[in-house]
Amino acid sequence: MIADSLIVDRGVSAGDAWITVAAGDVRQALSALKDAGYRLLVFLTCVDHLADASRNRGGAPEGLGPTGAQGGPPPYKSSRYELVYQLRNLETRDQLRVRAFLDGDPPRVDSTHDLFPPANWDERETYDMFGVVFTGHPDLTRILMPDDWVGHPLRRDYPVGGEAVEFSEEHETWQTAPEKA
Amino acid sequence: MGLDNVIAEALPDIITTRLDSLVNWARKSSLWPATFGLACCAIEMMATTDARHDLARFGSEVFRASPRQADVMIVSGRVSRKMAPVLRRIYDQMPEPKWVISMGACASTGGVFNNYALLQGVDKIVPVDVYIPGCPPRPEDLLNALMILQERIKAQGITPRQ
Amino acid sequence: MSDTGTVGQGITVTKTGEQGAFGGELLTINFGPHHPSTHGVLRLIVDLDGEQVRRLKPVIGYLHTGIEKQAEALRWQQVVVVTDRHDYLSPPINNLAYALAVEKLLGVEVPPRASALRVIMSELTRIASHLVWLGTSGIELGASTMLMYCFRERDTILDMNEEISGFRMHTSYIRPGGVMADATPRFLEMLDRFIDKMPSNVDEYEALLTMNPIFRSRTIGIGRLPAEDAKVLGATGPMLRGSGVAWDLRKTMPYSGYEKYDFEVATSDLCDCYGRYLVRIKEMREAVKILRQALDRLPDGPVNIDDRKVLPPPREELETSMEAVIHHFKLFTEGYSVPAGDAYVAVESGRGENGCYVVSDGTHKPRRVKFRSASFVNLQPLERMALNHMVADMVAIIGTADTVLGDVDR
Repeated sequence: MIADSLIVDRGVSAGDAWITVAAGDVRQALSALKDAGYRLLVFLTCVDHLADASRNRGGAPEGLGPTGAQGGPPPYKSSRYELVYQLRNLETRDQLRVRAFLDGDPPRVDSTHDLFPPANWDERETYDMFGVVFTGHPDLTRILMPDDWVGHPLRRDYPVGGEAVEFSEEHETWQTAPEKA
Repeated sequence: MGLDNVIAEALPDIITTRLDSLVNWARKSSLWPATFGLACCAIEMMATTDARHDLARFGSEVFRASPRQADVMIVSGRVSRKMAPVLRRIYDQMPEPKWVISMGACASTGGVFNNYALLQGVDKIVPVDVYIPGCPPRPEDLLNALMILQERIKAQGITPRQ
Repeated sequence: MSDTGTVGQGITVTKTGEQGAFGGELLTINFGPHHPSTHGVLRLIVDLDGEQVRRLKPVIGYLHTGIEKQAEALRWQQVVVVTDRHDYLSPPINNLAYALAVEKLLGVEVPPRASALRVIMSELTRIASHLVWLGTSGIELGASTMLMYCFRERDTILDMNEEISGFRMHTSYIRPGGVMADATPRFLEMLDRFIDKMPSNVDEYEALLTMNPIFRSRTIGIGRLPAEDAKVLGATGPMLRGSGVAWDLRKTMPYSGYEKYDFEVATSDLCDCYGRYLVRIKEMREAVKILRQALDRLPDGPVNIDDRKVLPPPREELETSMEAVIHHFKLFTEGYSVPAGDAYVAVESGRGENGCYVVSDGTHKPRRVKFRSASFVNLQPLERMALNHMVADMVAIIGTADTVLGDVDR
């Protein structure tokens, strides 16, 4: 399907097959997968793993990849952002999830809008919501938030916002408490 | 025995009334809404105009796309921070006298979405006359709100509102 | 582009001062976001050459609700309520995508009766969603009667929603672990009457539109989207099937037991607005067929999984069992935790592939909930479809793309 050298890790999560590639190889890997028949990008999104307790347990949870050398999580999994590309082969109906782990502020990755046209807006949305910069995107602007908005709302250290509700413990202003962030 | 009764006896063809009542009667009987459909509530607003609920019975079936021709703005749905300046501009474009119905929980208070993206209540940017609870409210609720608004218009003076 | 160039610089305004083919300058006009024919709060920046569309750029986000962020602040079972509200024309289908994704992570499967009820609600919703589309598109193309006819049947469906779930639109009926409650006998009666009546109603709509010369001339040949383009651009649902590609998730990647029902995938080779209209009409007829089979073969049995860690115990048990009280207390104060991992489930809504991608970090709140909305992707081919058409045709093109802006912006 694609060269094994590109694949950092592979597995199955809740029945969905996935592979992990290095952040620098995303374009190359997706291009190879496209040639191998995965022609539809179902969606592309990002997950912010800031202060994710499930990653620091001894041994990663089942379906989340092999454990590192000392039984801890593999080193790349300390990265904060996880990019997720869900691909589909329309002929064989196979699905494959491609993960890439990113760090940095802003995190950067190559754009794939020319390989998969739907990625154009998805990348803009991921930029808007997570601040991931897709190098090579023709028009990387905010898509959902107003143009003058400050911050990237779906980052875990961005407050949920809204208004405080009196006598309610339910309304948490922060997803991940600022001291942990 | 007031003056109007004297006139009514002497000149039976003529109806006398207060100018306020006459103008308000005219205003309340043909409230033209601006189509400000935003989200889920807009679908129920459309349902209010259908054959079963028949908004036309209350003289409000003429949804105007242009705010210049509208009397009442039915804010039906959640107002995002990106939409808020647009909404205010459309409100400003409506001629006086004008009224606002805040339809649904999201327009009134932000509803279940207490977060960064939504305006927590449209009353932060425009004055609201009637709030309708519900997510979304039933068409009957909108009819009720319209009738409440009509009652309020009847009680108003004809000078511009403060 | 260097990523320092236009990042965060706002909407790229299209060029001006350019000469058109008719000797005049290109005119940039702004549609929306508050425009009666854009099906919500869609804004378009259009470059016109005379009356022809030369460039088109959708600007979205005017209904951005922060649903995905809100979902991260809610517990797993509370998220159902916000899923209702992103694609507000098909709430039970959104519920279904979320419920299936969470069930996939939990590794549970719902009883057959729950699956059948989920299919019934999905198909009713599909009809209701197509009816709103047909009514509003009809009125935009000059057939005002359509709205009255379509909303008449839609109200019947909403009455059924109310009977089964207590609410007209946002039912929150389908939940992880099953459904809210069993169908009442009155619901089944209403459904039976509806199934008998609906085919003749669809005939009525067709009598008004299918051979209507005005409707035909405004839709045939308008907004062409060839099959290959539709596939490449990621279009799903009637947009894809209207271009002759028989891709329907209910057939190709069945869920909730759709493989057991006998129905055809509606397609049309016309690739234009009229083709998409025919597909949706056919889908309503097929949905009625599925409903009939689901109702006749509705299995008996429970409608929820028997797992006290996920769903609360029945009311009667609370009076006799201490364990039940503990479970009840835990569920309503903290909620359940979902094993760490991620799952993606796609279901077919009235608009196309409506997917839900959930990531759990093992706590009682989701780490990430992403809705893969059909409208968001289906809106991107808009420029391709509208190019070189008259500006008035855009109404038909936007209409038959059937995007729900709540679904686009989430």
